[in-house]
Amino acid sequence: MAASLIDPSRAPVAFGRRAVPQLFEELQQRPEAARRQRALNSLCDLMHNPERVYQTVTGGFLEQVKVLFQDEDADVRTKTCDLLHVLTSHSVGRQALLSSSLLPPLSQLLDDPSSSCRRSVHRVLTRLTLLPAGADALLTLVPKLMLKLRQEKEEEEVQALILSTLSSCSYQDPRPALANDGVSLLGHILSHRSTNIRREAADALMALSVCRDGKEQVCEQNLLPVLVGLLQDEDLEVQVNAVGVIMFTVTITTGKQQCLDLDVLPVLLDFVSKKKEEEEEEQDEERRRRRKALVLYSLRALTALAEAPGGRHLLLEQLPVLEARTESEEDQDIRRSAQDAVHVITWTP
Amino acid sequence: MAFDSHSQRDANGSYTFSSRPRPVENRSKYREPPSEQMQNYGNIMYDRRVVRGNTYAQHIIPTMVPPDSAETQRQQEIRRRAIARKRAREQFRSGTPEALQGRKHIDVQTELYLEELSDVIVAADIECQTDAFLDKPATPLFIPAKSGKDVETQIEEGELFDFDLEVQPLLEVLVGKTIEQSLEEVMEEEELASLRAQQRAFRELRKKELAEVHQLQEQERRRTEEKGRRIAQQKEALKQEREVAEKIAARAYTQQYLADLLPTVLTSLRNHGYFYDPVEKDIETNFLPWLVVEVNNSLERRYTARAMLDTIIHDVAQKRLEGFKEPETQPANPETQ
Repeated sequence: MAASLIDPSRAPVAFGRRAVPQLFEELQQRPEAARRQRALNSLCDLMHNPERVYQTVTGGFLEQVKVLFQDEDADVRTKTCDLLHVLTSHSVGRQALLSSSLLPPLSQLLDDPSSSCRRSVHRVLTRLTLLPAGADALLTLVPKLMLKLRQEKEEEEVQALILSTLSSCSYQDPRPALANDGVSLLGHILSHRSTNIRREAADALMALSVCRDGKEQVCEQNLLPVLVGLLQDEDLEVQVNAVGVIMFTVTITTGKQQCLDLDVLPVLLDFVSKKKEEEEEEQDEERRRRRKALVLYSLRALTALAEAPGGRHLLLEQLPVLEARTESEEDQDIRRSAQDAVHVITWTP
Repeated sequence: MAFDSHSQRDANGSYTFSSRPRPVENRSKYREPPSEQMQNYGNIMYDRRVVRGNTYAQHIIPTMVPPDSAETQRQQEIRRRAIARKRAREQFRSGTPEALQGRKHIDVQTELYLEELSDVIVAADIECQTDAFLDKPATPLFIPAKSGKDVETQIEEGELFDFDLEVQPLLEVLVGKTIEQSLEEVMEEEELASLRAQQRAFRELRKKELAEVHQLQEQERRRTEEKGRRIAQQKEALKQEREVAEKIAARAYTQQYLADLLPTVLTSLRNHGYFYDPVEKDIETNFLPWLVVEVNNSLERRYTARAMLDTIIHDVAQKRLEGFKEPETQPANPETQ
């Protein structure tokens, strides 16, 4: 009966309510590695269904997962992390993961010898930080992650995952990352060749520059030239994130000065001005949305720069561009930002 | 004795009584009831009080009714009257005269055919016994006679069950369910994607507004700093002005105060003798003390002389007094004695 399996890479699944418990019982009996992998594969498939997730969580099967973490076979560990990855795609799973004591063993797996296992662990962590409570729980791991980034032994995908985890945690609370000299680390990574990594690094830097210390560090460590260079990047997301960092940094005076020295105004104005191709792009929802972020951030940065006398002087000349935005723009947010900018530029004491 | 009976008043006020069945006790009317009940419990079969036998023609013993005189009298009267009536009826009926002495009346049958009158009933014994059952032979198979027409039929390959037709609804269900499930999953994913996009848009807006907040905060900070600085500057200026005014006032006052200082000083110095005429001073310091000393000396000589004179006079007077006293005492002494 069990001789011919339909799918040899997956264990047979019991019917209905027995599916998940039976697979876990099989795992508990410690069969050989191949069978464990098959059982884990089947479990991963099952977990796409939210009801099974709920069943797993409420049935208290997560304790077994802890046992599986210490398994000798690397594939089994990888599969366990994949299982957790699917589990965290659902809110119940995330909350269960947070409330159970699985995070310390999971974070120990970060030093696992197998690279695919580490990759899965990072995927789980990245997903977990989407929840604010998860980001809070992972704040203690930030130093360790930064250490890994510094050592640069990981592959690019893993680095991108680590960076996204770091940025989510830093949006929650930027202090641990700042304390561990995060700004300089990210400054190095900003000039990486991979687009993903640049994008994630710029995002993390934006998270760090929300805090006042971060802004000052960004100015001190002369990251602004690098960021201005990133403004000319091909990828829209990288540009958006770079403008975001600049937007936060120019709120302090040193930032304003440095940006004006770097001659960043024309670039921003270029972003803001309405172009012909943008009207064509309005058909595409996605691009329009992303462009909107760019425009918003640029307008905000321009508003901040307009408070410096040198900036105001330059912007007064370019006022028509901004006014064009206020008039004929359907999007409420952009119009409001443009009005703010005009208001600040034309302000007299 | 143990009371098995319960009598109580109900909630409505009605009275209920219940008790377990128990045999009547073997006790005399006028005796104290014994404590134990079981002693006197006897078998009902051997109880003398139980009525035995045929009860149809029994005289019902009237229960002990308390003698009601009117009632008993009436009953006795009825009895007497019944007896009297029976006697009276018997008197009118004539019966067979009695037999003579030495003879007896016997019943004799006078019908034509004599019957034997006896109490013995003629009975005869008859026995009956069923035969043991014989084995029934097997019933022969009942084959009814053939009637009707012979007809055949044969089911061809595709007639009873057409797979394609039958499988249609099954397939519809299977495929439909699969597609439905996948559509749901796709819609879920799309919903999740749109949720995520919305989240992103919200997050971007929030970041922008955060930057705005920071900028406004910075602005506020700069403004307050500027205000503080300007206020400090103003305060400095005011302080300086005040100082200058005070200095001027002090200067004017001092000038005025010191205006007549010089004459006063000179006057006071002069008063204190700091400006002196040297000749005068010299006369004062040198000449006058010498003069005074000389005057003192001469005066002293004069005093000395006067003192000496006084002493001489005193001595003389003393001597004279002594001289006068002596004679006084001598005459006095006898006067006192």
